[in-house]
Amino acid sequence: MTSPQPTTTPVTHEDASPLIEVRDVVKAFGNRTILNGISFDVPRGETMVIMGGSGCGKSTLLRHLIGSLKPDSGSIKLFGEETTGMNEEGLDSIRRRFGVLFQSGALLQSLTVGENVALPIQEHGRVDDAIVDLVIKMKLEMVGLTGFEDLKPAEISGGMKKRVALARALALDPELLFSDEPTSGLDPVMTAVVDKLTQDLTRKLGMTAVVVTHDMTSAFRIGTRMIMLGTGDRQGKIIAEGTPEEIMNHPDPMLQQFIKGEADGPIPLRLSKGDYLKRLLGEAQP
Amino acid sequence: MKYYLQLNGKILYWLLVAPWRKQSFKFSQVVAQVNRIGVDALPMVALTSFSIGLTLAMQGAHELQRMGAAMYVPNLVAVSLLRELGPLLIAIIVIGRSGSAITAELGTMKVSEEIEALGVMAINPVRFLIVPRFVAMLIMLPILTVFGNYIGIVGGWTICHFALDMDTAAYVLRSIEAAQLGDLYSGLIKSAVFAWLIVTIACQAGLQVEDGAEGVGTATTRSVVFSLLAILVANAILTGLFFFF
Repeated sequence: MTSPQPTTTPVTHEDASPLIEVRDVVKAFGNRTILNGISFDVPRGETMVIMGGSGCGKSTLLRHLIGSLKPDSGSIKLFGEETTGMNEEGLDSIRRRFGVLFQSGALLQSLTVGENVALPIQEHGRVDDAIVDLVIKMKLEMVGLTGFEDLKPAEISGGMKKRVALARALALDPELLFSDEPTSGLDPVMTAVVDKLTQDLTRKLGMTAVVVTHDMTSAFRIGTRMIMLGTGDRQGKIIAEGTPEEIMNHPDPMLQQFIKGEADGPIPLRLSKGDYLKRLLGEAQP
Repeated sequence: MKYYLQLNGKILYWLLVAPWRKQSFKFSQVVAQVNRIGVDALPMVALTSFSIGLTLAMQGAHELQRMGAAMYVPNLVAVSLLRELGPLLIAIIVIGRSGSAITAELGTMKVSEEIEALGVMAINPVRFLIVPRFVAMLIMLPILTVFGNYIGIVGGWTICHFALDMDTAAYVLRSIEAAQLGDLYSGLIKSAVFAWLIVTIACQAGLQVEDGAEGVGTATTRSVVFSLLAILVANAILTGLFFFF
């Protein structure tokens, strides 16, 4: 006898296969292993938050996802296509379907704010200048920067650059958005605005997002799935994965320390090992 | 060296093949670079060429007058400018002005993730950044050279006219008589080769910057030094070719 299955999947999309599939990705720089067998899926429409302490390989992982770095081994599939062995031409056709917000913003300093946002539109299609102009205004309005079109990136603040970079990443209405620390350098109100924007885009328009952050408020606000990367002995491994509730109640002490922001714990206060006095004074100690 | 050859290959691909197949480089960016590399350099080129023309005429007059051959000063000025000094001097000015600027600019863009961001936006950095500079340099260096040659000849004229009491008409006629079309062409071939070397060396140095501000500085120095060496060696080789063939 089987009882009728309760419908546990609240959202059903036409395409059930995950948008991003990462399998056993390993990357080492010299003899330092940064990523050590990372595997996860990001289903369509989800917001995946990648957390972890400094130096845990969050940004490196993101660089692998966007095709800037190639893993030593393992497989990465975007939109169902394997990107690890792809040539530049193939990568370019995939890259047109996603937007990336870099940690530093990475705006072109020689162009104005408006030209920066217009760049992907002008490069990837023959669009009338009037329409480009309209799109620039719409995208800047979204990030609260109307009227800043004619300034150079050097003339605006760090947080504003971040928002311009977000507007540029969204210029082509991508299906998928990667952001590296989208809220660092923003004030609390702007953080909330950017989070709200990400939420609206994912929940209302079905965009998928992968967000690297260590801002816990923001992470729990926007994330629908989360992974935490480990440091120290568990460098380059996923130590926890799940929904925000699962992560919040996860037993792992390192994760709990991270969420609560405590100075000492499983992640030691002093990261360097060995006798402190000996390191300070060398062998010549009394 | 391998990377340098690859870069040359990519430039030629995006310049000659890609425009027919998919995306072309932007003409407006070529114009912007033409202005920066060429038009903005005019005052400096004019001043340098004028002084060199002046100096050549004075030095030449000093020697030639003793042999009673002062009337050959225009020949000396015209031929040495067209064949040798013009292309070389202008190239050196452009290395100092634009070669270094290209390396520093691209290097800074590399350091601040701008070049990576372009790649991730599926905008090929070679098409977007390098090809416009390459085209502008290949157009503008020969033009600057012709311009410099003229100004240099004017520099020579000031000495001949005011110090040697030579007629302006006589100066012009002697110059035209002395300078063969071949002299102009050999100078222009040289300057086209120099342009290629300067812009590719500068771009490669810029794209390979790795370590922050210090890396940009080192790359800029390397770009200038390598460009100078390259054009001096190329100059010797080309002069040899023109001399023997």
